[in-house]
Amino acid sequence: MNLAQLGFISFGGAFLTYLLGKVSSKLRDAFAVFISLILIIPILYFYGKTEELTYFSFLGLPLLLRINPLSWIFAIAIQTITSLSVIFSLSYMKGRERLDFYYLMLLLVNAGMLGIVLSADLVSFYIFWEIMSWSTFLLISYNKGPALQAGMKYIIMSIIGSVAMLIGILSLYANCGSLDITLVSSFITQASSGYTLFILISFCIAFGIKNAIAPFHTWLPDAHSEAPSPFSAVLSGILIKMGTYGFILFMYAIAGLNLFLNIGGGSFHYLFCVLAVITIIVPTFIAVLQDDAKRLLAWSSIAQVGYIILGITIGTSLGFVGGVFHFFNHAAFKSLLFLSIGAVEYRTGTRDLNSLGGLIKRMPITFTCALIGALGLIGVPSTNGFVSKWLIYKTLILGKHPFLAFIALFGTWGTILYSYKLIHNIFLGQLPEKFSNVQKSPVTMRIPVIFLSLVVVVFGILPGIPLKVIDTISTSFGFQPQNVEIWGIASETGILNMVNIFAAICVALIIAWLLFFIGDKKVNISQDNSYAAGAHVPRDKYHHTVEFYNPLSAMIRPYFRDFVDDFYQWLANGVKNVSDKTRKIYCGDLGYYITYIVLFFAVLIILKMGLKLW
Amino acid sequence: MVIKVLEIIVSPILAFIVGVFFLGLFRKITARLHWRYGPPIIQPVLDLIKLFHQQGFSHGPVFDLGIILALAGSIILVLFIPFGGICPLSNSGGLLVILYIMLFAPLGIALSGGEGANPNISIGVSRKLILALGYEVSFLLVLLTLMTYYNTISIVDIVENQRNFQWALFSPLALSGIAYFLILPAMLGIRPFDVAGAPQEISSGPAVEYGGRHLGLFHIWHAFSLFIYIALFVDLFLGGGSNPLTFFIKMLVVFILLTFIHGVFPRFRIEQAIKYLWKWPVIISLLGLILVMIIR
Repeated sequence: MNLAQLGFISFGGAFLTYLLGKVSSKLRDAFAVFISLILIIPILYFYGKTEELTYFSFLGLPLLLRINPLSWIFAIAIQTITSLSVIFSLSYMKGRERLDFYYLMLLLVNAGMLGIVLSADLVSFYIFWEIMSWSTFLLISYNKGPALQAGMKYIIMSIIGSVAMLIGILSLYANCGSLDITLVSSFITQASSGYTLFILISFCIAFGIKNAIAPFHTWLPDAHSEAPSPFSAVLSGILIKMGTYGFILFMYAIAGLNLFLNIGGGSFHYLFCVLAVITIIVPTFIAVLQDDAKRLLAWSSIAQVGYIILGITIGTSLGFVGGVFHFFNHAAFKSLLFLSIGAVEYRTGTRDLNSLGGLIKRMPITFTCALIGALGLIGVPSTNGFVSKWLIYKTLILGKHPFLAFIALFGTWGTILYSYKLIHNIFLGQLPEKFSNVQKSPVTMRIPVIFLSLVVVVFGILPGIPLKVIDTISTSFGFQPQNVEIWGIASETGILNMVNIFAAICVALIIAWLLFFIGDKKVNISQDNSYAAGAHVPRDKYHHTVEFYNPLSAMIRPYFRDFVDDFYQWLANGVKNVSDKTRKIYCGDLGYYITYIVLFFAVLIILKMGLKLW
Repeated sequence: MVIKVLEIIVSPILAFIVGVFFLGLFRKITARLHWRYGPPIIQPVLDLIKLFHQQGFSHGPVFDLGIILALAGSIILVLFIPFGGICPLSNSGGLLVILYIMLFAPLGIALSGGEGANPNISIGVSRKLILALGYEVSFLLVLLTLMTYYNTISIVDIVENQRNFQWALFSPLALSGIAYFLILPAMLGIRPFDVAGAPQEISSGPAVEYGGRHLGLFHIWHAFSLFIYIALFVDLFLGGGSNPLTFFIKMLVVFILLTFIHGVFPRFRIEQAIKYLWKWPVIISLLGLILVMIIR
C-alpha cells in the first residue's frame, strides 16, 4: 500500500459509486459505505510512519505525496467523520433525487481533503483545494432555494481565497523555482521578512476564509444551515479545519516556529490571537440569539474555530497541543450535534427551536448523544472539550495574557447559554401535540451518533491517547515536549489528571444517588400534571421555549449583529449599483452608438493634435 | 494514603454541617432583621428529615438525574477547595478545574427543570443562566487577576502565598476582593439577586416541581453552594485558615455580612441585575487586573 494507491482508491471509489448508482441504488449505498470505511484501514496502517513519493511529473514539476504525524491526525479525522456521515446519509437522504450526484460529491470532498493533507507540494495542494471547494459548493446548494444563495456566497468568498493563494503560489514559483514544501520552507527561512510576510498573508487569506475566522466568516452561517445535515457535519467537523491545517503548515512547517513568532517583532502572531478572541466572543453571543438549530450550531462553529486558532497561534507548546487537540475534539462533538439535529429534523421535519420541545420522551438515545455533544462543546470535565480548553487557558494564564484568557473563558458561559437553549428547546420542556407520535431515529442514524459520543467521553477520560500523537507533531515543529501520560498531562507547573477527576465525579454521583435513594418512593407523573400556583397549565397553548433568553437578547441584540456581513452586502450592492449605472450607456439606440463613435474619434483627433486646437 | 481517604470522607461531611448550619442561621438572622422571631436554627435539619419521609413526584429520568448531578457537582467542588488545610484533590488541575466543575450544578438544575415542563421553571432557569452570565464577567476577571498575580493556577498555592496575614484583601488585589464581594450575593442567589428562585413571583422557579426527596436534595445542594462560594472567598482573599476552626470563623463573618445585605434589600428585576453586575463589579475588577498587570 502506498500513498498514490490511497489517493487513487479515494477518487476512483467516488466515481465508481456514481456509476454504480446508475445500475442500482442499493448497490450504490452499500458501495459508498464500503469505500469510505475501507479507506480507514490504509490510514491506520500509516500510523507513526513518514513516507514520501512522487506520483506524477507536470511540466518539470514533481507532484509529491507524503504522510507525517500532522497529516495522519487530520487524515484519520477526515475519514472517520466522512464515513459516519455516509452511514447517516443512508436513511437521511433516502428518497431524495440526484442521490448518485450527492454521494459522488460527498466522496469527492473526502478525496479532496485527503489529498490536501497528504500533498507535499503546492501544486497538488492547490488542485486538491479546488476540487474540495467546488464539490463543497455543489453540495451546499444541493437543496436549491435559499441553499443556492448560500452556496453562491460561499463560492465567491472561496474564489477570493483561491486567488490569493494562487498569487502566493505563483510568486513562490517565480522566486524559489520549486513548489516542494521542504524546498519552499528552506527558501522562506532565508528570504527577507517583508517577502515572508507577503507570502504568509496571501495564504492566510485563503485559509482564513476556509476556516471562517473573523472577518472572513460570513459565508459559514448560511452554508452550514442550508446544506443537508450529514454534509453540515462534514463541513463543520473537518472541512473548515482544512484552513487550520493550512495555518499549521504555513506557520510551523514552512515558516517555522522562530520565524513565525518574530515576524514584525511578534505582532503578526499576536494579531492572530486578537482575531481569534474576536472570533470567539462575537459569534458566541450571536449564536445565543439564533432560533434555527443548525444556524445556532454554525455560529458556534465559528466561535470554536476561534479557540483552535488561539491555541495554535499563541506560540507555546501547551497552546499548540491544545489547539490541535481542540480541532480533533471539535470534529467529534460538532459533527455529533449536527447529526443529532439532522435526526430530529428527519423525524419532525423542522429545526425551528421555537416549535420543537419535549422530544426526550420520543428520542431518548438521540437526546443522550446530543447532551454528551453539548457537554463536550461546553467543556464539562470528563469530556474531551475540557482537556483541550484547559490546555489553552493554562498557557494563556501562565504566559501573562489575562485579557485573552478572560475572553476565551467568558466565551464558555455564552456556550452554556446556547447549548442549554439547544438541548432545552428541542428535547426538554413541553411535548407539542403534533410531535406526540414521533418515532425514534433509524438505526443508521443512531450508529454514528453513538460512536461519536463514545469518542467524546473516552478521549475526555483518557486524553493521553490522542495527546501522544499531537505531542509528536508539536515536538517535530520545535516545541518542547510535554509530559503526556494516558490520564492527562503532567507539567512542572500543574498536573491535569482526568482519571482522578472522573473517579471523583463517579464517587460524588454515587453519594448523591444514595442520598436520593434513601428517600421514600417517588411516583412518576406526566408532564401535564404540574404546579402553576393554582392555575392550570394548558397544553400546547403556549410554548416555554419561545424567546428563551428574552431579557438578555433584548439587551444585546442591537450590538451583536453580523456587521461584517452587512458591510459585505453594502459593498456588493454598491458594485451592483455602479454596474447598473454603467450599463445605461448601452441603451440600444443606434443614434447614441454613432454619437459615441464620433465622440471617440473626436477625442482621438484632439489627442493626436496634442491638445493644440488653439 | 489513609489520611487522604479520611480527608475525602470528612470534608463533604464538614461542608454539609457548615452549610446546613448556615441555612438555619440565615433564616434566623433574616427574621430578626425583619422584627420577626424566626424558626429555630435546627429547622433545616428537621425540614430535611421531613422531606425524605414524604412521597415525591418525578417527571422522568432526567428530572431525577439532573438534581443528582447538581448535588454531585457540589460534592466534588468541596474536594477541590481547601478547608483550613484539608484539601483532598489539591493537585488535579487547580482553579481552572474548579471553574468548570462549578458548571455542574447550574447545568444539573437546568436539565432537571427542563424535564419538569413548567413555565415557572423555564423562566427561572433562563434567569439563572442570564444572571450567571452577569456575574461570571467579574468572577473570571477576579480569578485571572489572582492567577496572574501569584503566577499559578493552583488554589493551594494561592492560599500558601497568603500565609502570616499577607491576605490578598490587604494587597494590590484589594480591588478584586471588593468586586468578588459585590457579586457574591448574585452567586448565592440571595437578595437583591434572588430573581431565579423568586418565591412570590415565579413560585421558587427551578424548585417549583420538586417535592419530597427532590426538594431535600435541592436544599442540601443549596447548603453546599453556600459553603462553596463563601469558602472560595475566604481561600482567595482572606488567606484561608491554618485549621478548620479559624477558617470557619472567617466564613461566619463573611456569611453574616451577606445575610445583612439579604435582609435589607428588595429584589432587582433581571435586567436591572444584569446592568448592575456588568457595571460596578466589572469596572472594579478590571481596574484590579490592570493594576496587577502594571505592578507585575
